[in-house]
Formats: sequence, C-alpha cells, structure tokens
Amino acid sequence: MTYQVTVEPTGDVVEVEEGQTILDAALRQGVWLPFACGHGTCATCKVEVVEGDYDHGNASPFALMDMERDEGKVLACCCKPESDLVIEADIDVDPDFQGFPVEDFTGEVVDIQALSPTIRGIWLKLDRPMAFQAGQYINLTLPGIEGSRAFSIASAPSQSDVIELHIRLVPGGAATTWLHESLVMGQKLDVSGPYGQFFVRSSDEQDAIFIAGGSGLSSPQSMVLDMLEQGDQRQIYLFQGARNLSELYNRKLFEQLAEQYSNFHYTAALSDPDAADNWQGFTGYVHEAAKEQFSGRFEGHKAYLCGPPPMIDSAITALMQGRLFERDIHMEKFVTAADGAEGAGRSALFKRI
Amino acid sequence: MAAKKLNLKDKYRLLTRDLDWEFSYQDREKAFPFEEFEGIKITDWSKWEDPFRLTMDSYWKYQAEKEKKLYAIFDAFSQNNGHLNVTDERYVNALKIFLTGVSPLEYQAFQGFAHTGRQLGGVGARTACQMQSLDELRHVQTQIHAMSHYNKFFDGFQDFSHMHDRVWYLSVPKSFFNDARSGGPFEFMVAIGFSFEYVLTNLLFVPFMSGAAHNGDMATVTFGFSAQSDEARHMTLGLEVIKFLLEQHEDNLPIVQKWIDKWFWRGTRLLTIVAMMMDYMLPNKVMSWKEAWEIYFEEAGGALFKDLARYGITMPEGAKLAEKEKEHISHQAWWTFYTHGHAAGFHTWIPSDEELDWLSAQYPDTFDKYYRPRWELAKKMEAEGNRFYTKALPQLCTTCQIPMLFTEMDDPTQISYRSSEYKGEKYHFCSDGCQHIFDDEPEKYIQSWLPVHQIFQGNCGGPGVEDILKDYYKMNLGADNMDIEGSPDQQRWQQWKNKAS
Repeated sequence: MTYQVTVEPTGDVVEVEEGQTILDAALRQGVWLPFACGHGTCATCKVEVVEGDYDHGNASPFALMDMERDEGKVLACCCKPESDLVIEADIDVDPDFQGFPVEDFTGEVVDIQALSPTIRGIWLKLDRPMAFQAGQYINLTLPGIEGSRAFSIASAPSQSDVIELHIRLVPGGAATTWLHESLVMGQKLDVSGPYGQFFVRSSDEQDAIFIAGGSGLSSPQSMVLDMLEQGDQRQIYLFQGARNLSELYNRKLFEQLAEQYSNFHYTAALSDPDAADNWQGFTGYVHEAAKEQFSGRFEGHKAYLCGPPPMIDSAITALMQGRLFERDIHMEKFVTAADGAEGAGRSALFKRI
Repeated sequence: MAAKKLNLKDKYRLLTRDLDWEFSYQDREKAFPFEEFEGIKITDWSKWEDPFRLTMDSYWKYQAEKEKKLYAIFDAFSQNNGHLNVTDERYVNALKIFLTGVSPLEYQAFQGFAHTGRQLGGVGARTACQMQSLDELRHVQTQIHAMSHYNKFFDGFQDFSHMHDRVWYLSVPKSFFNDARSGGPFEFMVAIGFSFEYVLTNLLFVPFMSGAAHNGDMATVTFGFSAQSDEARHMTLGLEVIKFLLEQHEDNLPIVQKWIDKWFWRGTRLLTIVAMMMDYMLPNKVMSWKEAWEIYFEEAGGALFKDLARYGITMPEGAKLAEKEKEHISHQAWWTFYTHGHAAGFHTWIPSDEELDWLSAQYPDTFDKYYRPRWELAKKMEAEGNRFYTKALPQLCTTCQIPMLFTEMDDPTQISYRSSEYKGEKYHFCSDGCQHIFDDEPEKYIQSWLPVHQIFQGNCGGPGVEDILKDYYKMNLGADNMDIEGSPDQQRWQQWKNKAS
C-alpha cells in the first residue's frame, strides 16, 4: 500500500510506502524537505498536515509539543501517513514557477524517429493543448507496465498540442524497452503533466549555461528553443555531451541556431569518439568542455543541468569549484532503476543539489 | 485577485524587517571591530540565508512550553525519589562528569554566542546567535536543576562550577571552550557552531542521553530531549555558517579548512571522556565507543565531508588517526583515571568480569592484547591489598591539556610524545594534531593554564596533593574521590536498597 503525499507550496508529489516516513520517501524521490537529526528530536523537519490521517511516530514531546500536535504539525522524519496527505513545508516557491495545473491527457503517437542508436524520438499529439514551462516533464502510463514513467518534454511550450520526447533505451528497463520495441504509430497513451521544478529562471538576469548529457538534451532543448523564440537577449551556452558521434543527436539543429542567433553558443563534447568519427571537436566529458570554455570560472551565471546522475555530479563539482553555488544551479536528474536508491547517506548540507 | 499566501520565508522577512540599521554617523568598521582581523572576507551579508525563521515572540512561547513540561517531570522525578531507579550507584559518576565537565560548557557557549552575535555584521547571523545564546543558557540551567536532585543524595556534585575552574582534568573541557571564545567571531562559529554543534554533537549528547535511558535516569533523559529540541536551530546555523563563509570568497577556504582541522581534533580529544564513560562507567551499556564513532562520525560525518568536498574542503587532518584511536582511547583514559582515583572528583573501579568480557567482545583486535592484562593485574594487586595509585603528577599536552596518556597507534605500548621549541622553551604534545595547533599559534598556547605546571609553581596551594585536593579543589576527601568500593555513596545506596554492606 502506498500513499500520495502532496508537498505544498511546490505541489511535488511523493509516494510513501506503508510504514515509511515522509522524509525518507521524499529524500529518496529527490524532493527536498528541511531536516537534521532524522530521529525525531530536533524538529528541523516540522511540517503542517493540511489534509489526511497519519501517525506521529516517535516524535519527541519536546520537539513536537502538544499545542503543535493540536495544530496538525508533524515531524516529517517520524510521521507515517495513514491516508493520502497534503502537507505544507517551509520551502520556497520559485517566483518563476508558473504553477500550471497537472491534468490528464491522451497522446496519440504521430511520429517516431531514431535519434541515435539508443535514443528514440517520439511525438505525441495531445487531445488538447497542455500549458507547461520549458524544462518540465510528463508522466506516461504504458499498457501492461505498472506505475508511470517520467519523461522530459523536448519541444517548446509554443507547440502545446504535439509534444516531443527523447527516450533512451535503459538496458533491462521494462518501459523504455516497450517504447523502443513495441510502440507503433497511432497508438494512444495516457499522459499526465506538467510536473517539475526545472525551468528557466527568467527573472534572473544572469547568462545561462545548459549542460546536457545523453537524452538529457530534452529539457535544455525545450528551454533553449523557448528562450530564443521569446527573444531573450541573455548569452545562452549549451554544452551537449555524448559518447560518440552516432549518439550525438540534433547537432545540426543547434549549429543552425548558433548561426542564426548571436547570443546562442553551442558546444558538443564526445567522451569516447570512434576513430571513424574523425571528431574535430572537444573530446572529454561535457563538464570538462564547460570548464575549458569558461576557464574554470562560472560565477555570474545560472546553470541548468540535465542528464544521468554521474554527469550531474561531475558538473556540480566543476561549477562549485568555479564558484557557482546551489542558488544558481538547477537540475533534472535522470534516475533509472539501475541507479539504485538515493537519499541514504547524504548530509543536510545542500537542499537541491 | 486574492492576495497570494505568504510563504514562511516572506512572512519572516516582513515580521523582522528593519532589525538592522545603516550607520550614518558612525564608522561601520568600528561597530564591528573584530570582523576582519581573522582574514575572512565577507562581500555580501545579504546572501546569508536565515537558517530558521522564528520570531522572538514565538521563541518565548515555545521555550516556555518546553520548560513547563520539563519541570513537571523534574518534580515528579524528585517526589518519587527517582534516583533510586537508576541501575546502581556507579551510574551516578557519569553524571558527575557531565555536571562538572559538560554543563559549564553550555554556559561558556551562552557567553560565546552572545559575544559572537554582537560582533557579526549581518543581522540574520546576529539574531541566530542571540537565540542560540539563550538556548545555551536554558540548557545549563535545566541541567543544574536536573542534577540538583542527585546532589541531595550523592557526593561529588556540590561544587561543580568551582571544580570546573580548578580541577586538573576539567581544564580539558574548560580550555577547549576558552580557546574557541578567545578566537575571532568566525573561528568561534566554525569551532562551536559547526565543528562541535554539527559534526560532533551526536557523539556527546546521544551517549549521555541514551546512557541515561538505559540506566533508569528519567531526569537526564528528559533534559536531554528538551535540549535536543533546540538543536534544530544550532545544527542548521552551523551548516549555514560554513556554506556562507565558503561561498563569500575563495580566500576563505584555506582559513576554514584550517579551523575545521583544528576543531575536529580538539573536539575528538575532548570526546575521550565520553568514550571512557560509554565503555566503562555505564552499568548498562548502550553501545561501544567504537561503534558510536563509526555511526556518528565515520558514516554521518563521511556523508557531510563528501558534500563539503564540492567546496574544496577535505576530511579533517586528524580523521585517519582518529579512526585508529577508536580502538584504544576509552581504555587508556579509564586506566589513567583508575590510577589517579585519589585525585578524581568521582569514583573509579575495575570493570567486573562480565564487563571485561563485554569489552573483549567489542574490541576483539585490541582489548585482550593490550588492556585486559592490565585490568587482570590491577585486580590481582587489589586482592592482595596493593591497590595501585600513581603518585606522580602527569605531564600534560600543552594544547588539549590531557595527560600524556595516548599511545602511538602503530605501537600501543609506546606513549605518543611530540614537542616543539618556541622562544627557547620546550612544549609537549600528545599528538601531531595538538602539535600542529600549537605551531600555528604559539603565542596563544604558551599562555595555557596547565594545572600540573601551576601546582609545581605553587599557584594551587599545597604543597601536598591532599592539600591541593582538599583546599584548592574543595573536594571532600574520602567521599568525592577514591574507589566506589566502600565509598559513602555505595554505603548509602546499599542502605536504601536494604542490602547488607
């Protein structure tokens, strides 16, 4: 039995197993809540339950006093839901978050393209337009596969009735295998969205750096297209990482954009090019390409990272060593079942990264 | 359109705006004279993120509620003669160490945060320090109140603050805090706010509080929970400090790293007494010191330093050595107190056979090899009527002020000696860590008030050890010190429990 816990004011939804604490589930699913001791004595993780039933768990009577219990306060590190919950936490809503409502759609497959040997592009025509922010994702429910899977939208919000997805084949992954091998044109899929806190901080005037790895190009592609369409005058840098030339997809699109817009700069990095690729560009990891171009100094920018966990991790380290810190780093981590459980063994030092 | 609901951050900002002010006719630098001399560069205080958003009004409300609850439990404890529910009379000696060694540090923390808060230019940091300062004052008060019940029935509690100021082994915790408080405001924040309150606090509080819980001491458990509920603020403040300093300017990194190295090592040395308490003094054991170190430093601290690595911070210099020391220090410390049992303000004893077996099981690599034979020998000597006491005064480490009791970790039969020359004088240290700390600031540490040196210089009365203990330390000889066996504490306990003595 699992319960859905909606975290206000961001609207993030966390799936909590029977007997699991809200904090444990949230951290494992990449939703940050304030916390420190983790065992009910310090009260850093105090949140208010707006709706639903729960067990307080082992919250200390000093950390959570009777008058607070009467007000519906709980400690997220101890509290176990007994129904779906809505909680309100001391977290900030980004002023650039537009909060488009999550709705259910039906998406018909109108195009399928092999973008690379491991990445398939899929275009879904929705039964009605979906309002979303560039960078956000949708959940797909697939026939015969339990649960839903998250995929970032690669197309710009201006094109609101047909959405583009980039799907990497995860070895042994039920959903991506199905999408690569069984999906056919005309098929209809259940889509819900938009979700996520990954979007361009338009109100911040600093220049933008996008670092994308593999199919993590999807969100940055949507964000860059959107910024350029909107006539954004900031300098926009896109670093795209791939293993070799055949995995480097949509390169032409970005090279053309770089010619067309003087404020858009595109760099591709191949970590392991084939000899036959005859690669003249940057060889190495994508964060190294960014480091080289910026001479290791990133301050004064906003950075947006999208891709697999090791790429995100290296990029954060490079950015922080280049003096760009948490408040200016935004990311979407593509975690698959193969990446294992996260959340365990992390300290309370960082909130989002 | 209805007004958007304010989030807690905005609400707090509106409630607390204008707590800061512009210096229009005074020089700002003169108002915060200590902000620059440590070399820390602050470029923008507005980047400080308030780690907790609490107004003074709700602060009082919450704390009053906690006090009400806490004192109701103290009253009940006292009326029910709660001291009779502890495991045995030996347990109470752990509390004597806490009251003489730890509670006065809470008072020093109160003073330290009050002073530091005043010296920081940013309003958020100032307010946070002010609240922590008040918390610490509350902690020392509640601890004294909790222990006052034991003072009615057991020896060794009566002059805790006098003892903290003077007794030889209590100069270890006292000088630790004096060192932090006599640093600049940012060093204090890294030393106490971060290294102590965040990195090492669980190794101090969890052992004492769960020790109390395992040994029937309701009063201590309750003040422990009450104090821990303030830790949310303290821990988040510690984290914010470190992030803020590292993000403000890259020149801060080497300074902060040096402080982390120093205060990790100083904290680790201070915790020796907790190690000894866990392994030897608790009649019902919670876990071994080694296990506590592994859970609270190696695992939790490991995760923290992995994250801090992004800023360029590395694991503290002494961490590798500390990992080896977890196998040894509790045994070396309790042996030292046992052999100086006449000069301790609490009782000592030889572990029972059952306890020796427990230690052998917990420390399979070291206890039988190095330490059990000593206890077997001590047991034999005691049975023969030759209870062993060290007659000489110990040599102290100039930095941590602990007697030179630690050994080389690669050869646990060899005491670890280090020394440095400064201005023609030789200074002695227990470890590389303590020597490095001295070498970095010799002018500070040559002023150390080392109890043994002071005794030899005639500044502590005397000349005999007994006179010093009695007159200068104000110990009740024969009651506060010596073995638990045959002590007045034990005799009273047996009477209460109707056991034949």
